[in-house]
Amino acid sequence: MWTKIKWGLRILAVLIAGLFLHYTLPQRDVVQIINTYNKNTPIGGNWMFYSIEDTGTGVETSATIRDIRFIDAVYADGTSVMVYRNEDTGWFWPPYFKWDSSTLQAQAQNLKSDKAAPKWVAITHYGWRLAIFSAFPNAVSVTPVDGPDVRLIPWVNILLLSFLAFAIFMVRKMWLQFRERMVDPALADVGEGFDAVGNRVETVRKEARGFVGRVGAWLNTWRAKK
Amino acid sequence: MGWLRLAFVLYVALTIIYFVTSLYSRSVRQEKLEKAWDTDPTREGAPEGERAAFVDAGMQAYDKGLKKRLLWLIYILPTIGFLTTIYFVNWH
Repeated sequence: MWTKIKWGLRILAVLIAGLFLHYTLPQRDVVQIINTYNKNTPIGGNWMFYSIEDTGTGVETSATIRDIRFIDAVYADGTSVMVYRNEDTGWFWPPYFKWDSSTLQAQAQNLKSDKAAPKWVAITHYGWRLAIFSAFPNAVSVTPVDGPDVRLIPWVNILLLSFLAFAIFMVRKMWLQFRERMVDPALADVGEGFDAVGNRVETVRKEARGFVGRVGAWLNTWRAKK
Repeated sequence: MGWLRLAFVLYVALTIIYFVTSLYSRSVRQEKLEKAWDTDPTREGAPEGERAAFVDAGMQAYDKGLKKRLLWLIYILPTIGFLTTIYFVNWH
């Protein structure tokens, strides 16, 4: 029972982290830009899919309506489309520090093309298109590419994900070192102390299993020994 | 004022990371020194005081060494990362 709940929580945590990364990390679409425009966009309960208010772009025309730049694009298959918003990100999250949405809109307008003579561009963006929440991915940059079949290597993601893996690895190593040098010797002391009054080492060892148990047992070593 | 808030949060977080990492790094070095002493057959049966002095000398060398200074990268690398992000997103 407990094992199942524990594994359920672990899978849930990994899933949430994965979705979070998928939303936040940059992705590139190879598309043809077909339209650029501004639209008064009502923002309500879906605010988390838009930039925080004080970013400066997307003028608040009222408390709940923001004037936002949009870019319409069509994929190489000629039928599936994507709508990007083009908003500054401000200083906090996600940390793209994008302040050039006016420039980006001009670039997108400049690279606009029609079906007869398509110009292909790679739009770097983060976020999801979720129709049910009126959420749009935020375009970060537009670069012309050779054609619809161009192969793009996601260097930024490779770098960030390897760094993340390294950080997780280091945190684990630090935790193991802390346990080896601080918790386990303290537990051994507890064991010796208990040996003197009666053999209760097993009980302590049992309590000391798992993350919480170990920290708890370590904290117990700070208590006065009776 | 957004950048001030960000800089504050960032450097507070980096300071915490710096301290945790420096504790870890010291601990690893100390363990290494202790093990070096304990596995050296020529030092078998040497008094406990000599062992402590050996470890202390090793830790003093560590405090002056390159590895400890490299920990400043914890501050330097994220700063460079943020500045390059700002450059590539807005001026490239």
